[in-house]
Amino acid sequence: MRSRNANDDAAGRALSRRGVLRLAAGATLGVPAAALTGCGLFDRGEKPPPAPDPLAPLLASAWELAARHDAAAAAHPDLSARLTPLAEAHRAHAAELARITGTTPPTTTPSGGTRSAEPGDAKTTLAGLRSAEREGQAAAAEACRTAPGARAALLGSIAAARATHVEVLK
Amino acid sequence: MSEGLSAALAAEHAAIFAYGPIGVHLDAGAEKEARATEAAHRARRDELVLALAGDQATPPPAEPGYALPFPVTDRASALRLAVTIEERTGAVWRAALPVTTGAQRAQSLDALTDCAVRATRWRRIAGVVPTTVPFPGRPG
Repeated sequence: MRSRNANDDAAGRALSRRGVLRLAAGATLGVPAAALTGCGLFDRGEKPPPAPDPLAPLLASAWELAARHDAAAAAHPDLSARLTPLAEAHRAHAAELARITGTTPPTTTPSGGTRSAEPGDAKTTLAGLRSAEREGQAAAAEACRTAPGARAALLGSIAAARATHVEVLK
Repeated sequence: MSEGLSAALAAEHAAIFAYGPIGVHLDAGAEKEARATEAAHRARRDELVLALAGDQATPPPAEPGYALPFPVTDRASALRLAVTIEERTGAVWRAALPVTTGAQRAQSLDALTDCAVRATRWRRIAGVVPTTVPFPGRPG
């Protein structure tokens, strides 16, 4: 009993020392914090919006790439057989990315109808698509390298698929 | 971590073996592609042996021979095997992604990407349509 009391006393002293430290810290921090709040810097911090999933840009790029292929296929029907499977692959990627990020996919598929066709002949169009796929591959590869393990395989497949698209567009 | 890479090394050994019978049945242009591909698989194998040695793991050695999934008797079956090899090797590298990090994750991704691109090239040479799949390396 006695030893427990001694411990309690020690704990009490430790707590009160921490309390003093906390008060001191609060007092020191209080001044600049009050000053900043006065400026309205933190006013928006009251209701922070949920942080977007780190894969949100990759999801957006999948829809964007699908739309670019659709638009190019519409403008150059002779390329349609080559481009349509690529557009479908990007839509499949978007669906998987939406699933794992818990994002609601758009009810209407963004398509070439809303996007004006890129100017230029078939060769220029292919060059533009190739460069977009290369950028998309780099972004997916970066996402794969830094992702948690559970997401790495899907992101790796997306990066690899985009690399195969570059090959097909050559 | 090293289990995923050991599986990848076993797959690379098998791929190197398979390109022997594949090359025999191809015309000059495709045979050149097969030789370049075999060299790429050898380079991956060498990288892996080093990585596994660094992990203090015992790298699985190559088997003296591998059973091919189907007989290779002509150009068509040779090209079909080349596609199959790249698909299977890619799948093994993809399976290494969730169990690796850092440089080994990056290496696995590069290898998966190379396999996917080569599978696409072989499908094109073989006249297989479509030449791409939406999720390279994904089972089923």
